[in-house]
Amino acid sequence: MDYVLHILILVGIYVVLALSLNLLAGYTGLLSIAHAAFFGIGAYAVALMALTLGTSVWINVACAVIASGALGLVVSIPSLRIRDDYFVIVTFAFQVIVFNVLNNWVSFTGGPNGLPGIPQPVLFGWRPSTHFEFLCLVGCLAAAVFWVCRRLVTSPIGRVLRAIREDEVFVQACGKNPAAYKVVVCVISAIMAGVAGAVYAYYVSFIDPTSFTVAESIFIISIVIIGGAGNLWGPVLGALVLVTLPEVLRFLGLPSSIAANVRQVVYGALLVLCMMLRPQGLIGENVFQKNGRT
Amino acid sequence: MFSQLIINALIAASIYALVAAGLGLIYSTSRFFHFAHGIVFTCGAYTMFVLNRWIGLPLIVAAVLAVPLGGLIGIGMEIVVFRPLIRRSATPLVLLLASLGIYVVLQNVVSLVFGDASQSVRAASVHEGAAVLGARLTPAQLVGILASLSLLLVLMFLLARTRWGRAIRAVMSEPDLASVSGVNVGGVVLWVAAIGSSLAAAAGMLQALDVDMTPTMGMNPLMMGVITAIIGGFRKVPGLILGAMVLGLSQQCGAWFIGSQWQDSLAFFVLLAFLVVRSYRAGGRRVATA
Repeated sequence: MDYVLHILILVGIYVVLALSLNLLAGYTGLLSIAHAAFFGIGAYAVALMALTLGTSVWINVACAVIASGALGLVVSIPSLRIRDDYFVIVTFAFQVIVFNVLNNWVSFTGGPNGLPGIPQPVLFGWRPSTHFEFLCLVGCLAAAVFWVCRRLVTSPIGRVLRAIREDEVFVQACGKNPAAYKVVVCVISAIMAGVAGAVYAYYVSFIDPTSFTVAESIFIISIVIIGGAGNLWGPVLGALVLVTLPEVLRFLGLPSSIAANVRQVVYGALLVLCMMLRPQGLIGENVFQKNGRT
Repeated sequence: MFSQLIINALIAASIYALVAAGLGLIYSTSRFFHFAHGIVFTCGAYTMFVLNRWIGLPLIVAAVLAVPLGGLIGIGMEIVVFRPLIRRSATPLVLLLASLGIYVVLQNVVSLVFGDASQSVRAASVHEGAAVLGARLTPAQLVGILASLSLLLVLMFLLARTRWGRAIRAVMSEPDLASVSGVNVGGVVLWVAAIGSSLAAAAGMLQALDVDMTPTMGMNPLMMGVITAIIGGFRKVPGLILGAMVLGLSQQCGAWFIGSQWQDSLAFFVLLAFLVVRSYRAGGRRVATA
């Protein structure tokens, strides 16, 4: 039973990550390979605060919000001038730099050994410790993030974001400032991923840099694209399918030594097939095609 | 020690420039960042390993054969994935994502077949390098630098002097105009995929001769190749060589002054600085087509 709950908790965390990337990539058209970096910054902020200063949950999470938001702000600056595939390269650069800091600044982040023994959180006297209690926590977070995303994309702000994706000059001609919107959406998206990282750190109570690699970022992108970018339910469906898929493979009796590689092969192949056969994903919009440039 | 720094930069730059030349060719004709280029690099090394260790060909034959076989992988990707996508006028982002997917698939296939442990084609004994101007240089490294330089010179000659290179340059700058002038654009794109991928395979093979191979060996040269291509310019081979040297030198200096674990961060920092400065100089216009 705990195993099923564990999978559901992971689904919940990836739903949050994918929803936040969807705001950036699906709605605004800024495809980021730095989402694992935001995720990792949030997790490390919480872990470092809890382990070194022993502060309460709310202060730790506030730190995760500030740290990931600040990184989002920094990433958003190039996005004002650099678009499309070059923005992918820029975020790739941030991803590698953040991973290297987590992995190499041993005296501060523990380096490859990671940070073990993150204490359990206490929220208003409630101390979630069982899988079921964590699932409730993650479920609440996912629901809250979904609600925020929904409010954003159904509001006039969401319309401006989609307009930026389709035609930035048009947005300027309408008297809106695309730069401001891009900065704000970048920061919001980064904060959501950072909070997901905070919850993840509390849940697993041990974090190391291997959870926040480029491959992780590519996995989050795959969730959004295969589920369906530019649609609120796309990332939810994508996370559900892609996180549970390897567990199905496990029941088919693959030895665990090759399971990880087979899993990656399946994700990569799905991404390629998706681009070739169904670029809109399972239920999304074809967001990377619409501006019709050849 | 200073000469060792230059030599190390030269070794790194010879790999970066080869990878970047292939990436640049493909970017200039098809307009997308070919992430799967990194896996062609890995495949070049493992093809040599299979030919040498499993089939038993002499090392030199295996090494030379790995290059055109890498080109075949590029042709395969082009025909199976990119050509259908380009025919549907896919955007650079769609092509980039497909390429990323191919990278993930093939890297894990290599892991499944060969295991994650490092494989080698080297003979049992490791020679200490010969002294060159107070620096150490192994034969494999010398071969790497010379082979890389000669391949780049051949590429330069092909692009600049032959009819065939003129067709490639025509497709790079004006695909539509080239098409109405009777250039077979699809054919040129296929050739470019073959040549570019051969160069990546050659780079992978040369690096494996020096420092062995692992399934993930292609990621780092891919990243450095992207950086080299962006700061060196995509189309001109001398620019790429210069970009590769700048990158190699700054990495080696960084390793010397800060510590070798920060090499990648430093390289990407150079890239970020370059991109931001250039994008502001370009006054906010789209600067993708270098």
